[in-house]
Order: sequence, then C-alpha cells, then structure tokens
Amino acid sequence: MESTSPTALADLVRRAQKGDEVAQRDLIIAYQHRVAGFVYAMTGRSDYVEDLAQQVFIKMIRALDRLQAPAQFESWLFRLARNTCIDQLRRQKLRRIFLPFGEEHENIPEPAGAVDTEELDALRHALAQLRPQDRALLALVQEGRSHAEIAEILSTSVAAVKARLHRAREHLREHYQPDHEA
Amino acid sequence: MKPEENAWRALQQHASAQLRTGFAERVLRAAQGPQPEAWRQLSARGAAQLRPGFAERVLRAARAAVDMPSLADQLALSLGTAVVCALAVFFIQDRTARQEDERNLASWQQLAMTVADDDVRL
Repeated sequence: MESTSPTALADLVRRAQKGDEVAQRDLIIAYQHRVAGFVYAMTGRSDYVEDLAQQVFIKMIRALDRLQAPAQFESWLFRLARNTCIDQLRRQKLRRIFLPFGEEHENIPEPAGAVDTEELDALRHALAQLRPQDRALLALVQEGRSHAEIAEILSTSVAAVKARLHRAREHLREHYQPDHEA
Repeated sequence: MKPEENAWRALQQHASAQLRTGFAERVLRAAQGPQPEAWRQLSARGAAQLRPGFAERVLRAARAAVDMPSLADQLALSLGTAVVCALAVFFIQDRTARQEDERNLASWQQLAMTVADDDVRL
C-alpha cells in the first residue's frame, strides 16, 4: 500500500464503506502483512497471528461505515489492531488467574527453526519484557505512524507520546541482548 | 616481575578468557538497540504466518458475523428478559398477596359478624 497515493487509498476506503466487497478485499490484501507483523510484534506468538489479524479485519469491515475521515484509515486500522491485541493479552492474563496450568501450555516455545536470526530472537525476547502498551508504541513507530497519529490513537498528547516512547526505547535497549540464551 | 603482578596478570587472563569471541560486537549491538533489519525480519515473520486465501476467509467470517447478533444485542436481550421476568414475579406476587388479603378480610368480616350476632343474642 506504500505505493498507493493517499487519494487512491481514500477512494478505496470510500468504496469499501459502501459495501463494495472487491474494495474490502483489496484493503485486506493491502494491509494484511503489515497488520500481521504488528500482531506478531505485540504478542510474540506465531500461532496468534492469523486469528488476531482476522479479528482486526472483521472489526474493520463492521466498523468501516463509522470512519468519518477515509484519509485517516491507516491510523484507525492500527488503533483497531492495537486494541485487539491488548484485549487478547488481557484475556490471556485473566485466563492465567482462573486456569493455573494454562500458562504452561501458552508458554510452549516456538517450534525449532522458527526463529530466523540472533537479532530477531533478541528483539522478540526484548519485546516480551516490555508492557503491551510500550510494545504497541514501538510497533506503531515501526509502522511509520507519526507522533501526532500515535497521540490520536492513544488519546493522549504528543509530549506524552514522546516521553513514553523514550522510556520504551530505553527499556527495549536494556533487554536487547543479541547473544542471549533463549 | 613481582609475584603480585603475576597474580594480577593471571587474574586478568582468567577473566578475559570468560568472554566469548565477538564480545565487542555484541556489546555494540546491545548498546545500539535493535536495528531496522531486526524489525523488518519481525514483521516479515508475522506476515509469513498468514495462510493463502486470508482475505477470502476474513470476508466469509465477516459475512457470517453480520448474521450473528452482536455482544451488545445479546446483552440487551438478556437485560430485557431479566426485566420482564422481574416484572412478572412482582405482578404475580402482588396479585397473590392481594387475593390473600381479600380472603383474610372476608373471613375476618365473617368472624366479626358471628361475634356481633352472638353479642346480640346474649
């Protein structure tokens, strides 16, 4: 979608808002990889990616007609993705309280060969040490969202975003050890 | 060389032998934090989890979801049912109590009349 102009994107969104299934499919195809990457950064689990990405896009289709400004589609979509992931992580936390053995099943390591490089492994490990809100902040920045857009997504001020981002980056650096033993 | 100098040197050698090769590189990488390439790999790995035909599956699921009542609708229905049940219970209880009162009043009136008749006779 990077190559698509903002006007073309807004037009696609408008068509999707009117219920045009081809436009809805095009939107999903255009953003599925970025949303999947975002979900993976947020959860650190490959087995959650498809399910959560599907939830994000279903929410997108159902709520698309309420989007006032088609030009803000990307920010809006990533807000949906962030909220969906945070809800999932909260539910997971609650489940751990009521199902004490659930955690053992949830923490099954990724299958052998799943982790590609030392850097990726270190990044996943470092992200897992952060609060989901901080993970979301860093992932949104990686997605190319501006400070102003993130402030809007999080319903906070740009100054607060900058301060939180600075702290999140510090924490990430503290935990980022490319040679750590997984 | 003094014996303590030898000891210090041995200590340093022992300590430096603990560092694995590429120590300086690792320190630098850790200090710099994750590079854009690591983020790119993370995103690519997430994207690789989607099976082919993802968009079609989402559209099918979205169509199925439209037919299903939303959580808010389900909650509203539950709330409505609870209110109707509460009203029914209140209505039945009120009617039963009123009928019981009427029966009691009638029997008391009968009793009062009997007592009054007895008083007159006496």
